[in-house]
Amino acid sequence: MTTQAVAQAANRYGLAVGTPEIRSIGPVGFGPEGILFFADNAQASIFAVALDDDAAPAARPLAVEQLDTRLAAYLGCAPEDVSIRGMAVHPLVQTVYLAVQRGSGDAALPALIRVAGDGSLSVVSLEQAPFARLSLDDAPAADDPRQEVRVVPIDGPDGELIEPRSGFRLRIARDSLRTVTVTDLAYVDGLLLVAGACNEEFSSALRRIPFPFTGETRTNSIEIYHVSHGRYETASPIRTFVPFGGNTSLLASYTCTPIVQFSLQDLASGTLLKGRTVAELGAGNTPIDMIAYTDAGQEYLLVSNARHPLMKIPCAAIAGQEGLTQPREPVGVPRETLPHEGVGLMAARGDGEVLMLQRDAEGRHLRSYGSASL
Amino acid sequence: MDEIRALAACSAAELGERLAVLPGALLAAGADVHDLQPLAGRFAVDGETLCFLPRFPFVDGMSYALLVGVASREVHTIERPLPAAASTTDAVAIYPSAGVIPLNQLKLYVHFSGPMSEGWAARGVQVRRADDGAPLAGVFLPTETELWDREHRRLTLLLDPGRIKRGLVPNAEAGYPLSEGVPVVVSVDRAFRDAAGRPLRAGLARRYQVGPPLRRRIDPRAWRLDAPRAGTTEPLTVTFDRPLDHALLGRCLWLHDAAGTPLEGRATLRAGECGWQFTPAAPWAAGRHSLIVDPRLEDLAGNTLHRVFDRDLTRDAEAPAEPHPIAIAFTCEGLAEQAVACKFSQGRAR
Repeated sequence: MTTQAVAQAANRYGLAVGTPEIRSIGPVGFGPEGILFFADNAQASIFAVALDDDAAPAARPLAVEQLDTRLAAYLGCAPEDVSIRGMAVHPLVQTVYLAVQRGSGDAALPALIRVAGDGSLSVVSLEQAPFARLSLDDAPAADDPRQEVRVVPIDGPDGELIEPRSGFRLRIARDSLRTVTVTDLAYVDGLLLVAGACNEEFSSALRRIPFPFTGETRTNSIEIYHVSHGRYETASPIRTFVPFGGNTSLLASYTCTPIVQFSLQDLASGTLLKGRTVAELGAGNTPIDMIAYTDAGQEYLLVSNARHPLMKIPCAAIAGQEGLTQPREPVGVPRETLPHEGVGLMAARGDGEVLMLQRDAEGRHLRSYGSASL
Repeated sequence: MDEIRALAACSAAELGERLAVLPGALLAAGADVHDLQPLAGRFAVDGETLCFLPRFPFVDGMSYALLVGVASREVHTIERPLPAAASTTDAVAIYPSAGVIPLNQLKLYVHFSGPMSEGWAARGVQVRRADDGAPLAGVFLPTETELWDREHRRLTLLLDPGRIKRGLVPNAEAGYPLSEGVPVVVSVDRAFRDAAGRPLRAGLARRYQVGPPLRRRIDPRAWRLDAPRAGTTEPLTVTFDRPLDHALLGRCLWLHDAAGTPLEGRATLRAGECGWQFTPAAPWAAGRHSLIVDPRLEDLAGNTLHRVFDRDLTRDAEAPAEPHPIAIAFTCEGLAEQAVACKFSQGRAR
């Protein structure tokens, strides 16, 4: 994208030039016209930044062996202090962007790293970049009875003074302990979908945030239930999800392991939705990432897991899968197990390539695979 | 000195070709210096001084190597000292503080006296059998990003929900994280690092008995309210039907006066999170008040006012209710009255 195209996109999506102050970064995902979304969980915010990246279409395949050692050298830390929190591919120029956290505690530093076609790394400067910020704090409406506030002494230093009705003043403090940690995000047709886990209530809320950001701090969210084997109905935070089928469906994995499908059309209305469990993984396993890719005109999903092997699901099979009614292993939609080991984050790059972060005894590597080889 | 003076004539690009800084540990580990991109930053020559301005600050406790030359590289190493590491942070509490937790216990909270580092939750908190000290594996849900409050002083740990929920494969394969009748000790390891990278002053442990699973909606009708007398600042005392979630109690209960205005005051929890007290800032007015209960309030097993954590679709008793706030009315009688009355009624909050 040229600088002029970036300025036009920024204008269209309500981004203002400035320098976003960020304290953490990731997950990340691209939106329209090369706009990158990333979560700043330390500040409970989502940032949208228009990236000025006019690289020529990059060479394929892209491979960076020992990525964590390279990042450690570049960021000046030990490899174990490098945490890769997100990976996304610029949809127009195919450049790879990594959300990297260096260190922890007081020393923690976020960095957005660009991986060029030749594998070289560079820090993306966010100085004087067109950006917008949305706070995920639920600031309650004045008439909302479920106020996440506590009333504090009227003459005290904490909180803010409000006047709910004429002549009656209260000092309230927003609850400072509740946070939502974003675990995944994706942009679909004017909406940014955000999954997160709360550090207090055990909620399965999926937020739907209109983009351009409207400035409304209370976002619209939906509780998604799923049924285990036709008998138990339960909710759980969604850890990772992926839109597929031309943005008609969403496949989501829950922290309690089921993989659930629901229609994006159903998502558009209401506040409660029941998803259909199409696969269930076993104990001790955690889904890490999900992506969609196409090969020979067919769409497939990949699910990487903490303990189980990489899983490949043909999207066509999901439509025909009945909701699971019997616990059995293996359970659910027809799927293949792929031999790629230690797969964490993934990203589709163009139509023919899938990128995977793979971990082995030597470290973490960014590797590229042709879609047809999967 | 002559070398540095010679560098002064170099362009930034030439300096970048002749000089590089890398973490010393990577060189010691045998990394190929020609293969690695050096530290982000830039060199500058000021008279007889060569400076490297890193893009990211140097890390305390690391060594850094300056490599000079193109083909055969001369190495100069500098150490960044680690500041004196006197511990100042404590683990101050583990919740729940109830002595008995249900088999399907969902969450634990660990409070610290100061901000903490991320990355230690999985190794810094352990659950062991109280009888033989054997560690229990796979109790907590592993998460890439840990669940902290904004100040990083309170850690939330989820017991693996896949093992708790009925009907899921993890529950069938591995069973519950805890065992009914087998007491456990939850311990916070001293090695847990605070935000400055220092260990804790001391570890912390709490012992629990493990009772039967709890699968009923929270029932505020079974709560007892001891209403205060009008004209006093005596506390309103609420006794719950079971211990409730420590964190959610901090924001899911509040009081309205007869006009529906929130009351100013101070709320405290009773030991074991089995009750709540509210002391008003101003004396109670005579008449009707309401205790408002947010439907998101959870018990120790994640049951709320409106749903059972893992609802059995075949049991009508577990059918969900509408997730509205509930108002429990009580009346503060005047001081002249001999009897202190608590007229209990319940309805949907406005």
